[in-house]
Amino acid sequence: MDLVVGRDVVRRWPENPLLSIEDVPFRCSDVWNAGVVPFPQGYLLLLTVESLRGQTMIYRAVSQDGRHFTVDPEPFLTPAESGPCRDYENAGVRDARITLLDDTYYVTYLAESDFGWRVGLARTDDFQTVERLGMVTQPDTKGGALFPAKFGGRYALLERPDPGMSIWISYSDDLEFWGASTVVMTPRGGYWDSDRIGTGAPPIRIPEGWLLLYYGEKLTSAGPLTRLGAAILDADNPSEVVARSNIPILAPREPYERIGDVPNMVFSCGAVLIEDVLHIYYGASDSCICLGTARLRDVVGACLASRMEF
Amino acid sequence: MALRRGRDLLHRWERNPIITLRDVPYRCNTVFNGTPVKLDGQYVMIVRIEGQQGYSCFALARSRDGVHFEVEDEPCLRPADSGPFQRWELNGIEDPRVTLLEGNYYVLYTAVGGNGHRIALARTEDFRTYERIALISGPGNKDGVLFPQKVGGLYARLDRPFGHGIGSIWVSYSPDLIHWGRSELAFRPRPRYWDSYRIGASAPPILTDQGWLEIYHGVKMTSAGPIYRIGTAMLDRDNPARVIGRCLAPVLSPREEYERIGDVGNVVFACGAIVEDDGEVKVYYGAADTSICVATARIEEIIESSLEERP
Repeated sequence: MDLVVGRDVVRRWPENPLLSIEDVPFRCSDVWNAGVVPFPQGYLLLLTVESLRGQTMIYRAVSQDGRHFTVDPEPFLTPAESGPCRDYENAGVRDARITLLDDTYYVTYLAESDFGWRVGLARTDDFQTVERLGMVTQPDTKGGALFPAKFGGRYALLERPDPGMSIWISYSDDLEFWGASTVVMTPRGGYWDSDRIGTGAPPIRIPEGWLLLYYGEKLTSAGPLTRLGAAILDADNPSEVVARSNIPILAPREPYERIGDVPNMVFSCGAVLIEDVLHIYYGASDSCICLGTARLRDVVGACLASRMEF
Repeated sequence: MALRRGRDLLHRWERNPIITLRDVPYRCNTVFNGTPVKLDGQYVMIVRIEGQQGYSCFALARSRDGVHFEVEDEPCLRPADSGPFQRWELNGIEDPRVTLLEGNYYVLYTAVGGNGHRIALARTEDFRTYERIALISGPGNKDGVLFPQKVGGLYARLDRPFGHGIGSIWVSYSPDLIHWGRSELAFRPRPRYWDSYRIGASAPPILTDQGWLEIYHGVKMTSAGPIYRIGTAMLDRDNPARVIGRCLAPVLSPREEYERIGDVGNVVFACGAIVEDDGEVKVYYGAADTSICVATARIEEIIESSLEERP
């Protein structure tokens, strides 16, 4: 595939953006931030679609080649109208992240209501029907991503509570009651990720441990500049950072990343490792979905090169 | 006991404050926010001591009558100086709340570390040694109080996370006191009321024939800073996220000099209450983050206040 070679470790697909509101078969305000999974003989995205009214919902899009997607006309997950999640989703559900674990697809998502931001958890086998498991954090917490493995028999969840703007991890025996929470990574003063960080894609197992793609923000006088970074977490104890890149692996540069409802933003909720190439699906400017690729060894190299410095 | 009659539902003891700096047998900045239990006919209170260096620890105070307290010579619990709690308590431990549950005394307190406030859980038998069990919340959470019995087969707590920047009272449940979930909003600040800015649990919930009585604190923000007052709410016995009633007016507001003047003026802040056999409720509260006071009312009056406003 032809790639636009830029200054970043991640290279953009030349036909970016992959998806914009022109590709959505109904009128909407925006399409952004998608989780991704290989399924069944192609790729499936769970997109965040913002309605004209301003509420967000999660829609499915499918593709044979991972580049050309068809968006469903009907939503996959809408704000709950009954049950225990109802009060916590009325402003919308968004930022789906997909984790395959024990032959089940788990979807973590951001739920917003008058009562704040919380992480919701749902489960599906076929992406036709979806079962809510419930809210798994208190407010205000965003950036929930489930690990695709257990640690000592326990599930592990990355999350980004607002106080401290850092990435945390919690553990659970049953996906319902969570504890042993501890901080994993914090913003770094003086760096590109100085003001806030949060989970990007669910962690991907690599020989060196867990690859975590995360977003980092620097606050400028014109607003936040949101870039994509990478870190490696310990294979057995994922609260321990083994290596963290000092540089972003992708930064807003193209017009579709600079211009939009929330400009100067690249934000990934999902990536797929195919052989030794990382396919990163990312929302740009909260207004479209893009694809970037990187050789795994380049991303790991960027992390390890910074090993002594974090 | 002799009381000062005032405009508030709770009546202050006439010789408030009951514990001040002068009662602490070592140098410190302030003593406030104590949580009481009645043990073998004696009153035992874990109080918060703020050292002159600026961070807090806990000390034990004992009394035969509930108003004359003696503070022990040494603090009973200091911030952890090693082990897994250390990094979370670097800046001190604050605002203890003690609950008798299944024959054990549990203390929830605020651990203040580099990443903000978290709720910590410890257990004690004798109030001299404490076993730290777990940090049970994420960052930015405080005012945790444990229910004195299981609710629907699970342990339950109230706490005060921030949702969209607003501090409200939530309920969470746990099978083991370590892992927590099913978190649900119980009640929020009320616009235009005395508790319009922020609320949080104060005393551990008290089981009454009407449900769980919660003595909470409500904050109103003024141009000169916050005013902390004490209010009451009644929660459903089987589903404490359901509010049965809530007071319209606070049951205690800062009025006396020792409540108006101090390191943090205009604060009355309860961390516990004792329900006596005769139905008198002694509410222990920190005044202006500088001393500890007590005020009382009949349990029926307090319950009545908690039912003034029905949803």
